[in-house]
Amino acid sequence: MSDLDEFKATYFEECSELLLELEEQFTAIEEGDHSADRQNAVFRAIHSVKGGAGAFGFEKLVEFAHSFETLLDFVRNGQVELTSEVITLCIRSIDLVADFVGAARDGEELADDFGAEELARFKILSGEDEEEPMEEFDIEFVPVMVSVGDDDEGVTVSADSDEGDSFDQAPLEDGLRYWKVDFTPHYELYERANDPLLLFRELSSLGEAKITAKLLKMPELADFDPFGVYCSWEAELHGDGITEEAILEVFEFVEGDCDLNIISVMANADDDLMPQVDEDLIAAAASVEEVAASTHINALEQESGEEPQEPDENSADKGLSLADMAAEIEPPPPPKPEVKKSTKQAAKTPTVQSIRVDLEKVDRVVNMVGELVITQSMLTQQMDDQLRARYQEMVRGVEVLAQTTRGLQDAVMAIRAQPVKSVFSRMPRLVRELASKTGKNIRLEMVGEHTEIDKAIIEQLSDPLTHMIRNSADHGVEIPEKRKAAGKPEQGIIRISAEQAGGNIIISVEDDGAGINRVKVLELARERGVVGPDQQLSDEQIDELVFAPGFSTADAVSDISGRGVGMDVVISNIKKIGGSVHVRSSPGQGTKMLLRLPLTLAVLDVMLVEVGTGPYVIPLSSIVETVLCERADFGYAPSGRRVLQIRGEYVQVIDLAVRFEMETNLKEHKRFVVLCEGEGNSKIALIVDRIIGQQQVVIKSLEENFRRIDGVAGGTILGDGNVALIVDVQGLKNTPEQKSAA
Amino acid sequence: MRVLTVDDSPTILSMLNHVLKEAGFEVVQAEDGQKGLDAMKGEEFDVVITDINMPVMDGIEFIKNVRASGAKKNLPILILTTESSPEKRNLGREAGGTGWIVKPFDPEKLISVIHRVVH
Amino acid sequence: MESFENRESGDIEHDIASGNSMQLIAFMIGEQIYGVEITTVREIRAWDGATPLPNTQEFVRGVINLRGTIVPIFDLRARFGDGITNTTKNHVVVVMSVGEKWVGVLVDAVSDILTISKKDIHKVPEGDNMDSELLNGIITHDSKMVGLIDLDAIVAGVKEES
Repeated sequence: MSDLDEFKATYFEECSELLLELEEQFTAIEEGDHSADRQNAVFRAIHSVKGGAGAFGFEKLVEFAHSFETLLDFVRNGQVELTSEVITLCIRSIDLVADFVGAARDGEELADDFGAEELARFKILSGEDEEEPMEEFDIEFVPVMVSVGDDDEGVTVSADSDEGDSFDQAPLEDGLRYWKVDFTPHYELYERANDPLLLFRELSSLGEAKITAKLLKMPELADFDPFGVYCSWEAELHGDGITEEAILEVFEFVEGDCDLNIISVMANADDDLMPQVDEDLIAAAASVEEVAASTHINALEQESGEEPQEPDENSADKGLSLADMAAEIEPPPPPKPEVKKSTKQAAKTPTVQSIRVDLEKVDRVVNMVGELVITQSMLTQQMDDQLRARYQEMVRGVEVLAQTTRGLQDAVMAIRAQPVKSVFSRMPRLVRELASKTGKNIRLEMVGEHTEIDKAIIEQLSDPLTHMIRNSADHGVEIPEKRKAAGKPEQGIIRISAEQAGGNIIISVEDDGAGINRVKVLELARERGVVGPDQQLSDEQIDELVFAPGFSTADAVSDISGRGVGMDVVISNIKKIGGSVHVRSSPGQGTKMLLRLPLTLAVLDVMLVEVGTGPYVIPLSSIVETVLCERADFGYAPSGRRVLQIRGEYVQVIDLAVRFEMETNLKEHKRFVVLCEGEGNSKIALIVDRIIGQQQVVIKSLEENFRRIDGVAGGTILGDGNVALIVDVQGLKNTPEQKSAA
Repeated sequence: MRVLTVDDSPTILSMLNHVLKEAGFEVVQAEDGQKGLDAMKGEEFDVVITDINMPVMDGIEFIKNVRASGAKKNLPILILTTESSPEKRNLGREAGGTGWIVKPFDPEKLISVIHRVVH
Repeated sequence: MESFENRESGDIEHDIASGNSMQLIAFMIGEQIYGVEITTVREIRAWDGATPLPNTQEFVRGVINLRGTIVPIFDLRARFGDGITNTTKNHVVVVMSVGEKWVGVLVDAVSDILTISKKDIHKVPEGDNMDSELLNGIITHDSKMVGLIDLDAIVAGVKEES
């Protein structure tokens, strides 16, 4: 059944959210916040994991989750103390639950004793009997024996019930027996919206039912209680295979809210028990519910000062309906749901809390809104003063359009935005695993996990973040002895944080470890030819080497960070989504890696320039400043390369016309230098022909129909319908010199 | 026939939704008691199915609130429960719950239970 | 040619039996007629310039915006090694789908729609390097030779420069 698969998919999705929740809550609990809210939250989360698992028959998961839940229930009730031992057990168990869920999802079998140790601990802590069956998952709708102990009148439960199961289970022999059911509702029965009519309808579905109403004692009108009980019923039930159990099940929900007497009658033996239907009684009886309803109205009317209606009139009236009811009941109505719906009802749309939408559909909207923003900004740009003076109304319209468009854009982006928490929350487990593998004592701190960022970016964030944390745990934080020797606390700290800074999200991974060993890094880099023998590097440049492909600083290659595979993955993943990575290290004090990410992938703020006959755009985020060539201070480096001298810095110059093989007939001094910043604060000066302006663009792929081009990050469509190419600043910087120095 | 389902588990909500729709019910979903109450404002339902353990407002509070508004006195409310402990179920009953459904539910049973409490 | 004779005598019956015919869009480059299967053609539009792509082969004229997607334009004349087309407003871009990709070829004019029988397709004579590289076959229509463009070969020529 594909529906089932869909439910399962929903369940597993839910599970990952619940696991994150558990992780997060327990992190707080571990830090000392033992508030009831947190304890309830973890209980609820594991309870939900269990609930769904039960629905799909993931028995191992159910069993584990059940014991976990039981422990948590005892914890929140104060029966089990939340000691650090319990917390540690719980945190470890979250990982196990995750593994159980994963196994259920992938249809894998875990070892029989997987989690057995924790399971045993749960049971010992909760004082749970190992043998106790998990009844709630084995049985559904357990009929509960009617015991009306709280009623002194002592309505006897079936006389036979005490005599053992054999009789209870045995169906009545054909024609020989029938059941007699005496039923007197209590006041509470109505309070809980139960309805005798429905009970009888249910009863009559078991066999042929004759129902007789008996008026108990009608009070004086003045004493009439709208919710009072003035009526009881007696039912005679004929049919094959009716068990007492089945009858009891009918009254399951009203247990304690009624007097119930179920008697098995030998039909031949006692004909006197055949009830006589007393027409008068039926006529006089009232459907309590309906009387209640109408009297309730009376009460309201009384309040508003109007004459109360005569209730007896009503009860007489309703008496008929009860007779109708009795008549109606005799042939059992087939229970089937009402399908008919009035159009009026359908028009009253229900309040839907959330909907699931294919991400592709959202992306289509995002894309179109992106185009809209661009069209709108194009319109605005074309508003010159003359136009503004002449068409004030239109100008106002365009201004409103601009505002609405921005609003629309924000709203659409918000649909895609998610807190980085969904990625961050995977990290505590990682750190725990790394700590236990390396024998280090590491605490993870997380800051700003509620920072929201585009879903597509979040998805790209997991791998780089994992690698960075691995790197910190493996190469950054020292083993406890070393830390002690260095006068640091034995416990190392890895801190991940997220914050929004302007149009960017900054994610940092910081540790208080030994820092990057620059001597060793440089030595290795030279050994591997990453750095030439004569090349002199600044400290920052050496630090950046950890991101170089195939680079690893570990003396012994550990099984965690591997052979330098990983950190270069960080770079390429981050670059792919238009971000950058920096690293800063202080020897002996730690390392900080910074990821700078765009808020969204959909729209890019750019500067539009011209090179030769081609329009190009340069992302504004990488532009430092622009200078007219004739005011720029060019010089030549000893290698012969042209450099720009600006504020004491020498910056590599790339003439885009040369680099892109575009012809330009502009005189050099009329052209412009666009100073850009690449990764690691390293700058590059691009020479272009003209600067046209700033705008927002939607990034389009060149690879979709063509291929990647060096130095070009993609294309975009301008307001006039022409294609402009997006300059890949970092890519230009990384390409070999010959092309630009030609 | 209109059913309001209140549960914080999307899995349970979607399963209920599927089974109930299949049976011809119109289904409205809410993720906690408070949202359940909000969904009931100005709306008529024939039956409510609610979980007990939920954030914001749990099932017990939810039922109490529903019953507190006089107009909903006769609205059947079924409690969804995995709790084996009778105390929990009784709490729900005392608050005004009409009956209960034990999770995991069997679709046929679910429908039959609804018919036991709904006209 | 010998190969023609062999092919015709050998395959005629089979081709007729399967009733294989196809429609071509025929276009001109100078005096030469070329054709592509009509089902691959997505759009025909007048030349309206293209944004040049840096560091690509001479025959890549650039990219255009085709309803929001970026489509590369190949100068077919240049592709056949006859130099870059001196474009005017009368030149035509034929946009076609090749596998998953959409590409445009710049030609002088679109001349006709031809219905041909597959059995009439001949092998490209060997030796003429550009033709044998870029053509699937040759067909004679109204006593004129029509070269069948091998779209995959056209696109495959767009290798990233080392």
